[in-house]
Formats: sequence, C-alpha cells, structure tokens
Amino acid sequence: MENINNTYRESIISEATTLRWEVGENFHDSLMESIYKNASEIAAHSVTKKNKQQNHTFDQKLDKIITSRMFGFPAMFIVLAVVFWVTIIGSNAPSAMLASVLIDKIHPWLKEIAAAISTPLWISGLLIDGAYLGMAWVVSVMLPPMAIFFPLFTLLEDFGYLPRVSFNMDSLFRKAGAHGKQALTMSMGFGCNVAGVIATRVIDSPRERLIAIITNNFALCNGRWPTQILIATIFIGGAVPGYLAGIASAGAVVGVALLGVVLSLVVSWGLSRTVLKGEASTFSLELPPYRPPRILRTLYTSLIDRTAIVLWRAVIFAVPAGLVIWLVSNITIEGISLAEYFINWSNPFGLLFGLNGVILLAYIIAIPANEIVIPTILMLTVLTLGMNSVGAGDGVMFELESVNATADIFKAGGWTLLTGINLMLFSLIHNPCSTTIYTIYKETRSLKWTTVSALLPVVMGFIITFFVAQIWRLI
Amino acid sequence: MSNSLIHNCETCPAHNVGNLTKLGINMDNFDFVVALAGNPNTGKSTVFNALTGLKQHTGNWPGKTVTRAEGGFLYNNKKFKLVDLPGTYSLLSTSTDEEVARNFVLFGQPDVTVIVVDSSRLERNLNLVLQVLEITNRAVLCLNLIDEAKRHSIIIDERKLSKDLGIPVVPTSARYDEGINELLKMIYEVATGAFVCKPYKIKTESKQVKNAVEKLNGKLLQAFPKLPNVNWVALRLLEGDQEIINAIRSGDLGSLEIKNFIPLLEEQT
Amino acid sequence: MNNPLETLIIGTIILFVLCVLFWPGKGILANWKKLQKQSLKILIEDALKHLYDFEDKNISSTLHSLSGYLSISGDEAAKIAQKLKDISLIDIHNEKLLLTPDGRTYALKIIRVHRLWESYLADETGVKEKDWHLRAEEKEHYIDQEEANILAARMGNPAYDPHGDPIPTASGDLPVKKGKHLTEAAVGKVYKIVHIEDEPIAIYSQIVAMGLYPGMQLKIVEVTKEKIKFVAEGEECVLSPLIATNLTVAQIIIPEKIKKDFKTLSSLKIGEEGEVVGISRACRKQQRRRLLDFGIVPGTKIISELQGFSKDPIAYKIRGTLIALRKQQTDYIYIKK
Repeated sequence: MENINNTYRESIISEATTLRWEVGENFHDSLMESIYKNASEIAAHSVTKKNKQQNHTFDQKLDKIITSRMFGFPAMFIVLAVVFWVTIIGSNAPSAMLASVLIDKIHPWLKEIAAAISTPLWISGLLIDGAYLGMAWVVSVMLPPMAIFFPLFTLLEDFGYLPRVSFNMDSLFRKAGAHGKQALTMSMGFGCNVAGVIATRVIDSPRERLIAIITNNFALCNGRWPTQILIATIFIGGAVPGYLAGIASAGAVVGVALLGVVLSLVVSWGLSRTVLKGEASTFSLELPPYRPPRILRTLYTSLIDRTAIVLWRAVIFAVPAGLVIWLVSNITIEGISLAEYFINWSNPFGLLFGLNGVILLAYIIAIPANEIVIPTILMLTVLTLGMNSVGAGDGVMFELESVNATADIFKAGGWTLLTGINLMLFSLIHNPCSTTIYTIYKETRSLKWTTVSALLPVVMGFIITFFVAQIWRLI
Repeated sequence: MSNSLIHNCETCPAHNVGNLTKLGINMDNFDFVVALAGNPNTGKSTVFNALTGLKQHTGNWPGKTVTRAEGGFLYNNKKFKLVDLPGTYSLLSTSTDEEVARNFVLFGQPDVTVIVVDSSRLERNLNLVLQVLEITNRAVLCLNLIDEAKRHSIIIDERKLSKDLGIPVVPTSARYDEGINELLKMIYEVATGAFVCKPYKIKTESKQVKNAVEKLNGKLLQAFPKLPNVNWVALRLLEGDQEIINAIRSGDLGSLEIKNFIPLLEEQT
Repeated sequence: MNNPLETLIIGTIILFVLCVLFWPGKGILANWKKLQKQSLKILIEDALKHLYDFEDKNISSTLHSLSGYLSISGDEAAKIAQKLKDISLIDIHNEKLLLTPDGRTYALKIIRVHRLWESYLADETGVKEKDWHLRAEEKEHYIDQEEANILAARMGNPAYDPHGDPIPTASGDLPVKKGKHLTEAAVGKVYKIVHIEDEPIAIYSQIVAMGLYPGMQLKIVEVTKEKIKFVAEGEECVLSPLIATNLTVAQIIIPEKIKKDFKTLSSLKIGEEGEVVGISRACRKQQRRRLLDFGIVPGTKIISELQGFSKDPIAYKIRGTLIALRKQQTDYIYIKK
C-alpha cells in the first residue's frame, strides 16, 4: 500500500515536470501579471486619492538635492565625516572612564583578592592579567565608539538617507564590477567589519555579495582607528612643525581611510576580472520615503540589537587572546620568553617590510581583536627592551597616560617614521580579525572564500609595506 | 458565527505543534502562533515592536530582518507567539528571504498571519497579500502607515477592502501606537475562529496555467485529500519548488490539514 | 639585505615569479591544473555527448565523426570507442556507433549538468552570454549528480536552459519531442527540422542533395497540395508533398520580438511617463523576477523621476514606490509613451 502511494506521489512530480515543459517559461510572468491585475482591481475599488496633482513634494525636493552633482558627494562625505568625528571625539571620555574602572580599579582589586585567597601566581596571571585584561581592553576601547556609531548610523538608516548614498555611489561600484549597495556595507564596515559583512545580505547576487564580503576589510574599522590616530599623532605629527601637527596627523588618518576606500574599489575591480569574473548584474533599490527617525527608540534598539551582539562576539574572541598574550610572555625557556624568541627570530623579516618583530607578533596575537594591538605592542616592546621602570609586568597589556611617554617607548624600541607609516598601512591592509573571519565563514559557508578573504589583504599588506619600505630607504 | 467560537477553542490551540517545532519554534506555553509578513519598508518591525513591546530594530532599509525574530504577547488570557518573517516583495522567487517566509506560512501553518502593508502603496503591496492568501485561510491585513497615507490624501475604505479580500482589515500607525488594540482584537478573533476568513483567491487569466493547475490539483487532492491550499501547492510545483517536491515525495504534505472550522465555513456559504 | 635597491629588485622578481605561478586562471599552476583535467573521463563523456547529439538529430555517428568532434586522431577515436564498448555504454554495428540505454542515461546526465550550469551562469552570475557554453563545457565533467541536484533545487529546478533547450530531469527524462510532417506546417511560422526519414533511400538522398539537414531552420512561405515552399538559410526551396512527408519539423518558439516602435524604459526622459508593454526575454530568472516583483508588468505606468549625478542608475516611480534601476536593466523593459 505504502509503495502504491509512493509511486502515485512520484507520478504527481513527473506530471508537474511534464506540465512545466508544456507551460514553458512564461508561467511566472503570466502569474505575476494576473496577480497585479487582481491587485489593481481590488485597490481601485477601495482606494480614493484626492488632489492627484502634488508634484513637488518634500521628498522629491530633498532627493534632487541629495543626489545632485553639486551636493551629492560633498553631502555624503560631510555626513560620514560628522558621524566619525562624533564617534571618535565622543568616545574618548567614556573610553577613558571605562578603562579607569575596568583596568585601573577592578584589575588591581582582582589581583588583591587573588593574593588574599593565595591563588597561585600563574593562575591569577593567566586569568586576571591575561583573560580579564584582554576583555577589559576590548570593552573599554570598543564599547563607546560602537555605542555611538551604531545608533548614529541607524538614525541615518531610519531617516532613509543610506539608500540614497547607495544610489549615488552605484555608478562607481558598477565600474568596479560590484554592487551599489556595497557602498553601504562598506560604510557599515567603518564601524565594524563584522556588521559590514552581515550587512552584505542586502546584496542578492552571490557574486557581488562575495566581492562585498572580501573587500569589506578595507573599510577601516573601529578597532583600528585608535591605532591610526595614535601612530599618526606620534610619527606624522612629530615629523612636521608643531603648528601643523594636528592637521597633518588628522590628514594622515583620513588619507589611510580613503586609501581603504580606493583599495576596496580596486580589489573589487580586480576580483570581478579574475576569480569572480562577471559583469555587474542587477541593481534594484527601493528609495523609501523619508521618515522622521524616532531618536530615543532608535538609540535603545540599536544598542540592544547591534552593539551588544558585536561586542559580545568581540569579547568571546578577546579572552583567549588575552590568555595567549600572557602565556607567550611568561613561559620562558632558559630565561627567555617565547615572545622574545619569536621577536628576535622575526625581526629581520619585520624590517624587510619596514616593521619589526614586535609588530608582527602583536598582529599574530591580536588576530582576535584589533583593539589590543597597541597595548600588546607596548607591552612587548617593554618586554624586549627590559625597561622595568614602565609597564605593568610581563604579559600585562597597558597603555600610557601620555602620548609622549608612548613615543619615548617606541623610539627606544628603534621605531622610525617609516615604521610608523608602515604600521598605519599594515593596520589598514591585513587579515580581518577572527570575529570577522568567523562571520565570513558563517555568511559564505565556504572555506575557500573565507581563506581568500583572510589571506588576500595580508598578502597585499606585505607587498605594499615591502615596496614602501624599500623605496623609502632608497630615497 | 458565534457557535464556531465555542466549537474551536477546544481544538485549535497549538494544533500544529509538530511542524512548528520542526521550524525551530519553541512552542512551550503558547496558545497561538502569529506570523508577521509584509513588504520591506512597511514598518513591519515597528508593528512587531508595538505588539510585543520587544525592541527589535526597525530599519528604513529593504531586506532588514534576515533572521527571524520572535516575541510574545498576552491578549484575553491567551498567549500568542509572534514570529517576524523577513520582509519580501513576493513569495514566488528563489531568494532565501522569500523561502523562509513562504515555508513558514505553508509548513508552519500559523494560526494567524498578519500582513503589514504600506497604506499609501496599497496596490503594490497587494501582490504579497494575495500570495499569502493563497497559502493560508487565516490572515489579518494591517494597513500600516495610515498617517502617511492621510497626509498624501489617500483614503482607503477598509470595509470594502475587508469584504473584497475576505479578511479583517485594521488601519494602524504603529510608530505612534495607533490602531494596535484593534489589531490585537482581530488577531484574537481570527485565531479563535470568531472571525472566519473567506480569503480572495487569485484569478489566473492564462488558460495554459489554469489547465496545468487544475490537472495538478486533481492529482494532489487524490493523494492528500485534506490539503487546504492545493492551488498554491500546484503553483509551486509548476515553479519547481524543491521543498514542495520533497514534501510530496515524503508524504509530509499530508500533515498540512484543513483546520477544524473550515468545514463550518463551507456550511455557511 | 642592507642595500635597498638590491632588496627591491629581488622582491620585485619574487613577486613577479609568484604572480606567474599562481595568478588565478592564467598562472602556471592554473594551466597545469587545466591540463590535468584533460583526462580520459572527459573524452569519454564528450564522446557520449556527441553520440547522443547525433542520435537526437537522427544521424548515425561513426568513428570518423567522433574523431572530428573530439579533435583526436582516428586511432585514438577507435580506442575511445572500444573503451566505451567495453563498459557497455555503446554498441558498434557496421561502423555505426550506437548508444546503449546506459550510455544514453549517462549522456543525459552530462547534458543535464551542462544545461543546469548554463542556467546558473545566466541567472546568478554576471558571466557574458558568449561564455556560457564554453564554461559549461568545462564544468559539466566536474559536477556530480548530487551537486547538480542541489544546484537545481536552489534555482527552482529550471525546466529550460537559457537557450530554450529542455533540461533533463534527475532521472533522465526529457520532454517528448513534438514534431509534425512538413506538409502540415503553417504558413509564416518558423520551424526546425528535427528528423529526416532515411527510407526510402531515393527520397532521402534527394533531400540530402538539397542540403537540408536536421536542425536547419525553415520559414514556411506557401503550403498547397502541389508544393511546399519555404525559405532556409536565405534560399527559397520548393518540395513536393511526397518528399516533404519525410521531413519532421518542430515549430520554434522564437521569443516574440517586440515591435520596433516600442521604446525602452531607459529612453524615457526625467519627468516622462511610459506604460510597460513587456520585458525582454534576455532578462532572465532572478533579474526578471525582481522586476516583476516591483510590479513591472504590462500595463504598469512608470514615471522616470530622479537622475543622480552619474546618470545611471535612475529612480523610477513604479506603482507608488521609488525604485532605482541601472540602465542595463531598463534597456530590457519595453514601454510605450
């Protein structure tokens, strides 16, 4: 009986196949046509529209301005610049506050408790100096900018501005063989690459979505802005006369961010001509009416929705990184820590790229979270120099109160202007953080493309820093 | 109609637990499942928030909710589970969003499907509405952003619309929490069977399509006599929908059954 | 190490060598991989395809035709044929190569993969039309049936490939070829010869002498009891009904060519309104569905509303909604003003 049923059911399927061959490809078209015909009949029956003539509405006027030759691009840059400026300026104070609480207060307090209950040194070191500090750094550096950036971005989104940005940028991305909405995922990437990669879901063609995912890393994310700003202040600002320092360093940071945009277009172009060959395909984008955003609700929801999720992922990855940092600088063989072994061994390579062993090690350890690159570099530099007067002990990440003190450490570590520039370049062009890599894997479900997204930027980074370093030295 | 209410309350709650659990819905302690469908940019997520109080982010951007959001609410001592489906323009294409939405309404057989539309763009939104009505017999139309429509001097006769579509129509302005109570009331009535829907069915013009659908309908009903939305299944077969093919092959399609009060409806008409 | 110039030169050379080795698609590694793929399996599969193709057109294939198709020597073709016979995919009768049922199933599987892949390229990638076939020719040998089924399911089990050829089902079914005698053809329609009856030989050789072949397209000009007149490849031919009954033809459903006086949506100037009359057949599947989803169906009124500074895309008012489309897409949409 069951078998008869099975055969009968199979016969339905084969009947359907035959019918499909008969009906041909017009089926979907004619179905949609009927649906819309039904729809307009129903609508006509119950909808009345008074005064049909209202040609120049507010939306239309605003759209004309926002997409015009005169104001289109400038408006876009100004809006984005304001968002970043507010993010950077606004997050300074809360970041410092969080750091003072989490690192200056709670950290010693935890250490005291550990000492009081006589925890073995290696356990308190591993858990408190390693895992806890790693997390504390990420939270204090990442939370404030994200808590500002995401709501701001969300407000723009709710207002309806972002689709217009995508409308403006589409021609540029089309020429690069990519999708107009990549402009948006890129802007999201300025906040956090994870959010940027997830946002690529709005792109419905698989090829262009992959391009958007792979190139998202070139959008300088939150975790890398502090590195850029600090290094630019010390090395670029320090290389020009005092009154120009501010402008020069700010210009350098913006330059690096713009370089990122250019690279993302260039790489998109390259990809769409080699491995992801194809024409830019469809682009259909609804430009929704402008709607006044509900500010408080947006603040609340975007905090819950985006900030918390991204932060949580970052914390999960920062904790093991903290453990590793502590371990490599505290496990010693014949009195020399693993970190020092690696640094000494890799220093020549680092120099080849205008970097040094410390930076290379910091970038390997800091794969989980870019935020901890600077604290790690400082800690490792002090470790290798044996400067016992500064820092907080082996394997303990720290940051210094003043930029000058930081600069002194760097200079003692043999850093030059070239090191600074190349660190900025490498910070822009290297593998995405592990959270992003993981997200890429989750989104693409492909090991191959995850590997490409991880390796492509790092290889490019080495190539670019190599040539910069060698040409610099030549001149 | 009032007698159907009594008739159904014993039988209808959580009638379809098996399928819903398969779709990843935790059905502990819920009486009814409500699905929320709608085009992008219709304020669907705002409706979701207004109904549940949960603050899910609402974006003025197409294709926002890719993963499904869930929430719950209590009305008249009944517990409702609300499932926010991805915003889509249609349910007939191959994108993941549409697949999620379509399969949920079909296989999940929610007790009520609320379709959120942008009142000032009703005609365009009706595309999705008509498709949903092909799949389910229990739906409520939420005429959202009614304030915007008024501002553009668009007036909708919701009674006429409700009569044409055969489902309750509730004008709302979810951003300002207007009309939410009426929406809740209608969800409740449809869920409990107090309001019996008589949904509009798509009228196909092409003879070729009509013939093909009829042929398949006959065969399908023989294998699955209780199938409530045989037309839709036939249409999907003609589109080559793998989920449907699998469900036919395995016989799972048989688990989709006409809800108890549908026979009542037929008696009435 | 210490001399930057030296390092620079060495670095450049290393980079260059690495590029030459690993460049995707054109590097030595990629070429080597390609070479590896030219295996016996491919020859066998291509041979089966050739046999199926000829069988489909009712021509008998021989070693000669096989060696020509695979561009290999006659000896090699004989080896392949022997190999195929050994694994009982073909039979050899009087120098004619014939597919066994197993061989036919195998061939259909490859054709399925080929047509599926073409559909995939057409619908979901931006690969250009002229590259579809060649890419599918390569790909067809590397996708197994399971992968093909998954691919098909994801695309909604397409029934036709982008060229309009039916795609065999997973179980190897193809629609029954419909055809009628040339004598029954309708005037003004376009047909394709699907079958030439080779008995009686006298008539057959006459047909062949006229240069008619399976697959040839004909446009019927006149059908009477005395003669059938048609145009094929630019030449007018006249056949007697006696001969014409030996030809089976199938009507070609040429996508209705939209008349020239219709304009494309892209030609609409800002502020102008047009009414949709149709979407070009060249706009397929996903792309087409998106447009339909927006309500772009015959009869829909569209206003060209907003042009950004780049001139492309342009935003159109469609059924109350503002939707930005690229020129590439609006070229596909036919309108009348």
